[in-house]
Amino acid sequence: MPAKRAPQISPHASAVPPIPKPSPKAAAAPPSSPAAQSAREVSSALWRHYRSTTPQRVKLTDAFMAFLVAVGGLQFAYCVLVGNYPFNAFLSGFGATVGQFVLTASLRIQTNPENRREFESVSHERAFADFVLGSLILHFFCVNFIN
Amino acid sequence: MGRIGEPRYAFDRLLTAPDSSATAEMGHLKKQVVTVVLHMQDARYKALRPDEANRGYKLTFESPKNDKLALFQHGERAFDHILLLPPKSKGLGPALTPKLLLQFINQNGNILLTLSADSPTPTSISSLLLELDIHLPPDRDSLVVDHFNYDAASASEKHDVLLLPQGSRIRSDVKNYFGGDGTIAFPRAVAQELGNSSPLLAPILRAKSTAYSYNPKDEAEVVEDPFAVGEQISLVSSMQARNSARFTVFGSAEALENKWFDSKVKSVDGKDSKTANREFAKQITAWTFMELGVLKVGRVEHHLSSITGDAAGNDSVAQLGYLNPTIYRVKNDVTFNIEVSEYTYDHLSPLKVDASDALQLEFTMLSPYHRLDLIPISQTPNSTIFSSTFKLPDQHGIFSFRVNHKRPFLTNVDIKREVTVRHFAHDEWPRSWEISAGWVWIAGVWITVAGWVAFVGIWLWSEPAYEQSKGKKMQ
Amino acid sequence: MRLPNQLLSSLLVLCAASLGVAATWGFEDATVSVNKRGAGVGGGFKEKIGQNKALSKPVTLGASETLKILLTTKEDNKAKRPHQAFLLVQDPQSKLDTSFAFQVKENGKGKIELTQKDLPTQLLSSTGPLDASLIIASFGSSKPYNGKAFDLTIELDSGSPLPASEKPLRYGKLPEIHHIFKSDPKSPPKIITLVFAAAVIAALPILLGAWISLGANLNHFSKAFSSSPIPHALFFSSILAMEGVFFMYYTSWNLFQTLPPALGIGLVTFLSGSRALREVQGRRIAGLR
Repeated sequence: MPAKRAPQISPHASAVPPIPKPSPKAAAAPPSSPAAQSAREVSSALWRHYRSTTPQRVKLTDAFMAFLVAVGGLQFAYCVLVGNYPFNAFLSGFGATVGQFVLTASLRIQTNPENRREFESVSHERAFADFVLGSLILHFFCVNFIN
Repeated sequence: MGRIGEPRYAFDRLLTAPDSSATAEMGHLKKQVVTVVLHMQDARYKALRPDEANRGYKLTFESPKNDKLALFQHGERAFDHILLLPPKSKGLGPALTPKLLLQFINQNGNILLTLSADSPTPTSISSLLLELDIHLPPDRDSLVVDHFNYDAASASEKHDVLLLPQGSRIRSDVKNYFGGDGTIAFPRAVAQELGNSSPLLAPILRAKSTAYSYNPKDEAEVVEDPFAVGEQISLVSSMQARNSARFTVFGSAEALENKWFDSKVKSVDGKDSKTANREFAKQITAWTFMELGVLKVGRVEHHLSSITGDAAGNDSVAQLGYLNPTIYRVKNDVTFNIEVSEYTYDHLSPLKVDASDALQLEFTMLSPYHRLDLIPISQTPNSTIFSSTFKLPDQHGIFSFRVNHKRPFLTNVDIKREVTVRHFAHDEWPRSWEISAGWVWIAGVWITVAGWVAFVGIWLWSEPAYEQSKGKKMQ
Repeated sequence: MRLPNQLLSSLLVLCAASLGVAATWGFEDATVSVNKRGAGVGGGFKEKIGQNKALSKPVTLGASETLKILLTTKEDNKAKRPHQAFLLVQDPQSKLDTSFAFQVKENGKGKIELTQKDLPTQLLSSTGPLDASLIIASFGSSKPYNGKAFDLTIELDSGSPLPASEKPLRYGKLPEIHHIFKSDPKSPPKIITLVFAAAVIAALPILLGAWISLGANLNHFSKAFSSSPIPHALFFSSILAMEGVFFMYYTSWNLFQTLPPALGIGLVTFLSGSRALREVQGRRIAGLR
């Protein structure tokens, strides 16, 4: 998840440490290739940066989104494992998590203090009201479709 | 075949035998007026018509040469049945042309045609039989001999009076209406060969494997190219048309004569026995004239069912809804019942189907989706009720319950009941929680809803803690 | 040893004559041979057939071979032409039979030639060997002869199979049909479903735990309720009520039972929501959020 958030913290991209050059030692050890090692370093740096700079309210939102991804992933894995019967139940179950994820992402973008300049005209509360309305409609659709 | 008249042919007595006083109450089976058209040289035999018939037939004797003889009156059949005896003359006259005889069959008339090696078969009859895929020897004088099964008493020299057991089953699943323990004397018979392609033809009596047909004029010394040999020779053949009208070819008219009805015969190995020609003639005439093997369908019912157990038959089936609805739903459990009777001489009896055969139900739309054996579930004194319970196919459309029962020697049954099979209505599908496979996704929806409600609460009322937490995390 | 035999036979003849038993038909010098077409005489199979003695080994008739039987028919011991001199070929299983007539001369010498082409396909396609019998009979009181001669095995040419004889239509029982377009879908084993469902449900406590670890709390609850109790109470409870309506719609209500309460609750949510969110906004502007 943190990697996914990366674009949203792009204003701070300069704070990310530069990718370290592969050391000769890493090159000599084939199991951990320099690319893998550097990717690990990049991700840990990203993670540290995320932990330090993200507002708590946004973190709460992110936790909810991670929950949605987990629930959606479980449902999808189950579908792959046993088949999609009853398909409408799969669609509404999986669709509920995906839709909720999209609405929450939208709320996150609009209420993130870092994006304040882009959403000057939209207050956080207005965004939340839209989020509640959208979510209720989504829930209705899902409940309607699941039979 | 010289004198034909009352004393020679006993079938008039046979047909009017007092043992079956049938006043058939069945509408379509009612025996009305039967006419036997005889060939008679002499008009005086007309005076010999028996009056009332105890077996229900009224006989009319006509010479085929009679100008006034007409099989049809105002386009309708004037007679129910025809019994044709071998004519003395070469032809049968204008009233009995093959075309008219076929028209008679097409109008549900039955014909019993007798042949004799003693009097040549008219070409018109041969061509009529050829049309039906029944082949007669090309030379008209041919007769069947069997040096192993002949009547030593009357034909010790010529071997042309065959002794045969009464008919056996032509197939294991076909009912035998011509059986018995007796011996039939079959003098001077004309062989028939049946074509192989028609399901309408069935032999009633075949010759033994040592028999053959020969022409006494051309092949008196030795037979080198016989027309027919062995069991290919059919001595009595039947053709049941698609409209169930019956046409029987009887290879030896002489076998119907009085003198063979209860005479004594002697087999090659010296055993004396009495002929069963009388019984056989009764069987043949009864079958041909619709006294045997006539099926009648009574009630035809179908209804929605619920299956309550695993018991066999209909014991575990309960009727739902009313009888014979016009619409069902796909995958409904449906029961189909049909009541079938078989007419036997003078009464309706329950139809019995051989274990190797079955009355079959088809559930069909263009082609059958189901073909099921109907099981006899109950019996009345006059009928058997056959039933089958099955699940309708998973396809909607206009379907028919169809019982198309065609068997040798039985009249055809073709019953159709059309019903609509509709799709599931939107509220007839199983609810999602009834399908265990969907539980994960149902849980997914409601967990999402619950998580969302909690999120709303957090969002509304959570106190930010970022200053402290930030400070902590910055350490 | 010879005397009694002779005596016996002469006695038998005597008895027969005295009882008036008729003469019997028979044959002698019977040979059966199978030759390939074109091959010289004597190249193939040849065997003598005795009266009332069937050959012990079967006669094999190949595709391009000709079966030939020569015999002399006799009435008692005199060579004589009978009216019927047949070779009867019968399938012992299906009981189908056919006969072939010998060409018999005045002096009783008979001959028959048979190829596979002469036999009907029903017999050619029979699985077991066929019974071949000789029938010699005629009019009058002479006793006819009918005895098995040999087993006939048909060896079909593998190169050219039998012409596919279409089975003629006969009325009878037809095979049952149970046509199903698509069988009912099957649910997987319940244990898999339950494991996944448990995992899905377990995600909620994990979420709550994650929130708590991130410092989520409901500390503003009292603040919000003290400043605008009714909107907050109404807003949150109407959201709950709406989900409740959805749950009722899922379990039992139809759409027409669902929509009126949903609309009413939606109105409450809208009105109370605008008030409640104004309070939230107040807190945000006050820097409390």
